[in-house]
Amino acid sequence: MPQPPEGEQTDVDAHSVGDVAASVLIDAGAVLASSLDPSTTMGQVASLTLPRLADLCVIDLRDEDGSIREVAVACVQPELARELEKLRVEHPLNPAGGHPVAQVLRSGQPVLLPEMTSTLLNSFAQGSKHAEFMIDHGYRSAVVAPLLARERTLGALSVLRLGGGTPYGQEDLQLVCELARRAALAIDNARLYSEVHSVERRLEAILVNLAEAITVVDEHGQTVFANQAAADLLCVSDPEELTSSRPGEIMPRFLVLDEQGRELDLEHMPGRQLFAGETPGPLLVRNIVRATGEERWLIVRSSPIADPESGRVVYVVNVFENITEVKRVQLAESFMAQASRVLASSLDYAETLQRIARLAVPQIADWCAVELVNEKDEIERVAVHHPDPAKLELAEQLNRDYRPSLDEPAGVPEVIRTGEARIYTDIPADALAQYARDNQHLELLSAIGATAVIIVPMIGATGPIGAITLVSAESMRRLSPGDLALAERLGRRAGTAVENARLYTERSRIAQTLQQALLPESLPDIPGLDVHARYCAAGELNEVGGDFYDVFDYGPDRWMLVIGDVCGKGPRAAGVTALARHTLRAAAMSGQSPTEMLETLHRALRRQPPGADLCTVCLVAAHNTGAATQLAVALAGHPPPLLIDRDGHAELIGSPGTLLGVLDPIEILETKAELRDGETLLLYTDGVTDAGRPNVELGETGLIELCRQAPRLDLDSLLEYVEDVALMHAKLGLRDDLALLGLRASQSVPSQR
Amino acid sequence: MLGLHGELDLLGAPLLQEAIDQADGEASAIMVLDLQDLQFVDSAGLRVILAAHERSRQSGQELALTPGTEQVQRLFTIAGVNDHLRIIGSPDEVFV
Repeated sequence: MPQPPEGEQTDVDAHSVGDVAASVLIDAGAVLASSLDPSTTMGQVASLTLPRLADLCVIDLRDEDGSIREVAVACVQPELARELEKLRVEHPLNPAGGHPVAQVLRSGQPVLLPEMTSTLLNSFAQGSKHAEFMIDHGYRSAVVAPLLARERTLGALSVLRLGGGTPYGQEDLQLVCELARRAALAIDNARLYSEVHSVERRLEAILVNLAEAITVVDEHGQTVFANQAAADLLCVSDPEELTSSRPGEIMPRFLVLDEQGRELDLEHMPGRQLFAGETPGPLLVRNIVRATGEERWLIVRSSPIADPESGRVVYVVNVFENITEVKRVQLAESFMAQASRVLASSLDYAETLQRIARLAVPQIADWCAVELVNEKDEIERVAVHHPDPAKLELAEQLNRDYRPSLDEPAGVPEVIRTGEARIYTDIPADALAQYARDNQHLELLSAIGATAVIIVPMIGATGPIGAITLVSAESMRRLSPGDLALAERLGRRAGTAVENARLYTERSRIAQTLQQALLPESLPDIPGLDVHARYCAAGELNEVGGDFYDVFDYGPDRWMLVIGDVCGKGPRAAGVTALARHTLRAAAMSGQSPTEMLETLHRALRRQPPGADLCTVCLVAAHNTGAATQLAVALAGHPPPLLIDRDGHAELIGSPGTLLGVLDPIEILETKAELRDGETLLLYTDGVTDAGRPNVELGETGLIELCRQAPRLDLDSLLEYVEDVALMHAKLGLRDDLALLGLRASQSVPSQR
Repeated sequence: MLGLHGELDLLGAPLLQEAIDQADGEASAIMVLDLQDLQFVDSAGLRVILAAHERSRQSGQELALTPGTEQVQRLFTIAGVNDHLRIIGSPDEVFV
């Protein structure tokens, strides 16, 4: 780099250089602050060096690809400036070449050329034409300073003296460097600004075209930006209507509720909370357009824009996501799932329907009423709900004084007669007046304040059996075809449930009566022994047969315990159960041993019409001798009973024997055991051990473990506990009957753990 | 040969009955119920198996079974039917 030696520095009056410097920098400050357009600014910077600092000034910038582009030329001879511009276009500077500008761009260091000889000029000229130009115009002395900003060299500022002017010295170099630094900052700022500006323009283009509604609100609540989606959502024609509206003018057009139906005001909105210094999360709101009753579900998300210096929130960006469709489907499914659970929960349909009505309010409507046709063909109100007791009284009065009869042309009677759902989305006053029977009726109907009504039939197997009425009133919620479809599903589901409940009650009454005939009405009192039983029928109570048990005496201090399982259900199984029970009793009375009793039953079963009536039995003969109770256990295809000691340790008693009624010959082995104070013998059917299959069936080992872990309970409570655990295991529903029969030597109280 | 999978209970029993009735129509000399993959049997399932046993005994056909899972074997033991049925190690044994 041609750094001139100290000695060559021209002696210049320091005072005058200082003046020039001050005036140039002041002028430059004014120019650079005046505009953000870099090309204009650079032209002005170049001009202001004339003639105080230079005869010719050139500003070059480095483009992204590394090429050098002249952006401003100013010269005391305007003709020369034009020629130079032309020359630079024809012979662009080689960035890798020896031209001082190229050198400065590469090194980032300024260059001072106090005296430029023709040899020097020739050495870096871009061809002979360029050399001739420089020599002809008397290039004399030059300073080239880098345009440095943020440690990048953006370009170079060159000042030249032509002809016989004073050559540049070190102080000029410093001044040019300072000027170049300021120019570089201006260029850099202008570039940043234009980048930000284009980002802003892109952002705005995105916001404007986004499907999600976006508003920007200032701290006074004034909307300063809104996109078309926001205008659509807020029911105005264009964004300008929002930005020109007064703060708080738009919100009252909507009823805004939270998920639980509580009304929300402006203070609950996340945007407002941001201005209050809080950090709200997204808010899910149910938004109802007051003018039309249209309902939307929106997620409102707000982000703050803070003032960079004070940190104060100056703007809030609100994004409204419309999730109405998603929410509708979700609510409908969740409602139906809840409704189904309620309907399946009980056979008491009056209670169930009241719960359904409560479920429908406020999820679907403000009012819900359920009517059924009774056996006298009268329409009977079985459920009604509204959250306000005063309003509920209106409904009660209407029902008391103006109960509809089945032959009326419109409303509930019509729906029940035709089985066709009706939806009234608009209730004109004159229609109401026409429907009303008298003035008081009209008053009551008006007080209900219905804005929309849906009536759906409840359909049973034979046709409509009732109707469900949903009314939208003070919420002004519009009832949509989606609501109608949901209500119809509810009507069908509820109709089936009511019908099932009615049939079921009938059938289970018969079944229970029959079952009770098969089981002992009560167990005998046995001196010194506790005896208890529990029985739980599978198949929803409406089938008979299956498990049975019995306890009877067959001599002084001699008791027979019987538990068994007849394969199958229904009348045939019930017949076999009765046969088994009575055959065993008769056999015991005639003095047979347990083995003989089982053989007798086997033969009796074999005499039955063919059909493989399979029966398993466990017999326990208990002889209370006073000191201890002697047990004889005989098994015929039945799981062995458990003998549980006072500490809860249980073991299986008995050896397997052939089940009865199918295979010949049967083989039965009697096992002797002793029941001591506080010990328990537990007889059970496979419904207990199989409960919970196929996943977590209790099994024999599970039952043993259960007895070990069970709290020290009296016998009845122990059986109840085992039954509860088995039922808990069978959470998918009991697949088989479950019977438990327990015997405990009760002379003394069981020890406490 | 009939291979049984899953659970043979009140719900599964009619399906087995149907399969056995169909197989009966083919009147082969021996029927094998392969229980190796059977997870569960209850009294209803046992009843169908025993009915098939009874019928084969009367018609001179032979019925053989392979042992099922632990639960199935336990049920057969409790029911005291092992001595009455022909239990074989694997379905191929009948052809040896």
